[in-house]
Amino acid sequence: MIRGYAGRVLEIDLATRQFSFEPLDEEIARLYIGGKGYGTRLLYDRTEAGIDPLGPKNPLIFATGPLNGSVAPQSNRFAVICKSPLTGGIGNATCGGNYAYGMKRAGIDIIVVSNQSERPVRIEVNGDRGEVEFIDASDLWGKGTYETQEILGKKKAHAVIGPAGENQVLYAGIVSNERIAGRTGVGAVMGSKRLKAISLTGSRKLEMDDPAAFKKYTKEIRVMFKAHPVLGSSLKRFGTAGIVNTTNGRGMLPTRNFQKGHFDDAMMISGEFMEDNELVGVKSSCIHCPVTCGRDVEIEGKGRVKGPEYETVALLGSNLEIGDIKKVSEWNFLADDLGMDTISLGATLSFAMELQERGMFDAGVKFGDPAGISELIRDIGHRRGVGDELANGSKRMSEKIGGHDFAMHVKGLELSAYDPRGSFAQGVEYATTNRGGCHVQGASMYLESVGPLTINPQNLKLKADIPVLMQNMACAINSMVLCIFTTYGMFPAAVHNMDPESLTHRMMSKAFENSGPVMRTAMTMKGKPMLWFEKWLTYITGETFSSGHLQEIGGRIFNLERMYNLREGLTAADDTLPPRILNESIYENMDSGHPLADLLPRYYKLRGWSADGIPNSDTLDRLQVRV
Amino acid sequence: MSIQVELTYEMSKALGTRRFDLDHAATVEEVVAQTAIRFDGGEDFAKLSRVTAIAVNGVLVHYRKGLKTKLVDGDRVGFVKAAAGG
Repeated sequence: MIRGYAGRVLEIDLATRQFSFEPLDEEIARLYIGGKGYGTRLLYDRTEAGIDPLGPKNPLIFATGPLNGSVAPQSNRFAVICKSPLTGGIGNATCGGNYAYGMKRAGIDIIVVSNQSERPVRIEVNGDRGEVEFIDASDLWGKGTYETQEILGKKKAHAVIGPAGENQVLYAGIVSNERIAGRTGVGAVMGSKRLKAISLTGSRKLEMDDPAAFKKYTKEIRVMFKAHPVLGSSLKRFGTAGIVNTTNGRGMLPTRNFQKGHFDDAMMISGEFMEDNELVGVKSSCIHCPVTCGRDVEIEGKGRVKGPEYETVALLGSNLEIGDIKKVSEWNFLADDLGMDTISLGATLSFAMELQERGMFDAGVKFGDPAGISELIRDIGHRRGVGDELANGSKRMSEKIGGHDFAMHVKGLELSAYDPRGSFAQGVEYATTNRGGCHVQGASMYLESVGPLTINPQNLKLKADIPVLMQNMACAINSMVLCIFTTYGMFPAAVHNMDPESLTHRMMSKAFENSGPVMRTAMTMKGKPMLWFEKWLTYITGETFSSGHLQEIGGRIFNLERMYNLREGLTAADDTLPPRILNESIYENMDSGHPLADLLPRYYKLRGWSADGIPNSDTLDRLQVRV
Repeated sequence: MSIQVELTYEMSKALGTRRFDLDHAATVEEVVAQTAIRFDGGEDFAKLSRVTAIAVNGVLVHYRKGLKTKLVDGDRVGFVKAAAGG
C-alpha cells in the first residue's frame, strides 16, 4: 500500500445493516489521490444514470486523502461525494473540523454508505477493533447539530445532520464540530438514508514515507504561514470576513440579490468590525491548523457560538441589505444548528425577497428588514409553510413561480459571494464548475481581483486560462484533502506588502496579465515538488508530486466529473450564468454584464473539449479517464 | 460637484468616520491630497494608505489613469484594503 493511506474502505449497507472493510484500490488512489477524486470515481462506477438522488441507489461517500491525519497545516478536511439533489449532477462538499483526522485514526480512508435505513439510525465505528454498530437514533431525530454532537460526546469524531438534513432541505449539509460540508445538499442525502450521525474512534497513526523530512519541512512552513499577511495575519485577526471591505471596495460584494456590488453598511458586517467591537471571543481552527480563521461570537440567548464566515456575512448580510452583524450571527447559528448551507440559504432568501418586491410571491420578508427572517429560516429547516418552497432552492422556485432572470444560481447551486462581473475569470469558473456556482472549486478571483497581484478584471486576458489551471489545482487539493485557503500562500509576503499604486507593483501586475503561456508552462511542467503541498504529498506517499502532476490529476478528476454530469443529462447549455449577471451591469464603465459567450469557446479549447463542451476522446485518453 | 470618499476600516477608525463628501476634486490625486489633510500631519495617512488600492466606483484606478484618473460629479472614490483571504 502507498504510504499515507490507511488502506481500508468501510462499506456500510443501511438496508441490511451489514458492513465490511475492503482494501483501498491502489490504482484509483494513484490516479485520483483520494478525497473528492477517489469518491467521484466510486460514484461514477457504482451508479447508473438517472438515479434519484434522494433514493436508495445514491451512495453517500466520505473520503479522506493522504495528507489527512498528519499535522500539516490546513490538512484535516474530508470530502463527501454523492449525486446532488440540488443540481441533479455531481454533488460534493468538503469540511474541516476533526472528522478527517478521526477517519484516519480509525484506519479508514473511505466510507461508502449504501441504501437507506427504515428508521433513524446512527453508526459507531471502532476502527481498532474493526467494529461497526448500528444504533437506533429516534431519540436524536429532530435535534440540532450542536445538541446532537454534545450528546454523542467529545471522545469521538462525529459527522452529523440536523433537522434540515432530516427534512431533506435540498441544500442541507453535514456538520463536524462547528464546520459544515455545506454545498450541493449532501446533508439531504444523509437525511434520505435516515442516518443521523457517524461517530469514529481509533488510534492508528499515519505512516509516512519520509517522516523526518515531513516534520522538518512542516516546521518551516509553519513559520512561513505565521509571517504571511493573509494566512498569518488577516485570516487570524479578522477571519474570512476580513475580505468584506475588499470585495465591497471593488464593487463585487453581492448586495440586494446581486442587483448591486456595493453595500453602504459593509463595514458593519466586516471581520474588522467584529474584532473591534468585542464580538469575537475564542479563535478556533480545524485540528492542527495554525491559521485559526474560525472565531466565536456572542449572540443573545445562546452565549458564545461560532461566528459567521465571509460567505455568510455577504449572503445573509449585504445580499439581504442587512448591516447588523448580530442578526447575521444569529442566522448563521440557526443555519448551522439546523444543518444547512448559508450560501444557498442566503441567495434563496434574497430571491424570495425580490419575488416579494415584484408581487410574485409572499414569503413575508423584505430587503433591509430583519423581521421574520429567523422564523423563516426555522421554517425552511423544518419545511413548514412557505419555508417548504424555499427549501428547494432558487432554481426550483424560479421554475415554479418565475423570476428566472434573477434566480442567482448555476446548475441549481447558488452563487458564492464574489460577483463575477468584477472578476470575469471567476464567472467562467462559476459557469463551468461541475458542481455549480461555487468559488472553492478554483478560487480564480484570488489571482484576478482580490489577491495582491491582480489583473484587470474587466478585460478578457487570461480569463479563460486561469479557471482551467485553478479548477485543476482545486480538484487536486480537494483530493489530498487540503483546505483551499492554502492557495493564499502562493504569493509571498513581499508581494502582499507592496504598495498597489507603486510603479513596481503596476509593472508586475501588467507582466502577470501577459504571462499566459509562461504560467501554463510553469504549472503543467512535471518536475520536482516546489509548493508546500506538493512536498508534503511527496514526503508522505513516496511518490513524486509536482505542479504538473497535480494539474494532470486535477484535470483527470475535473473531466470525470464532467462525464458524470453529461451522463446525467447536463449539457453545455448548463455552462452559463444567471441572466442578471450576463445582462445587467454593476459598473458605470460597462454597458452589460459578464462576457461569458466570448470566453467559453477558449475555455473549451483549453480543456480539450468540443465546441459543445464534450471532452474529446484523446483528452480522456491522455488523462486516463475511463468512462 | 460632490465626490464621496470611502475609507478603509483602519482609516475610518483614525478619522472617526466611514466616509465623507468633497465639494470638488477633479482627479483621484486631488482626493488623495484632500484626504491626507484630514489626517494630522499626514503621517498616519501615509502609514494607513501604504498597502491600499484606490477604486473609482469599484474599478481600481491602476486599470484607468492611476492617480490622474478624472472624476465626475457623483463618483465614489474608495480606499480599498488591497488583498485579503475569505
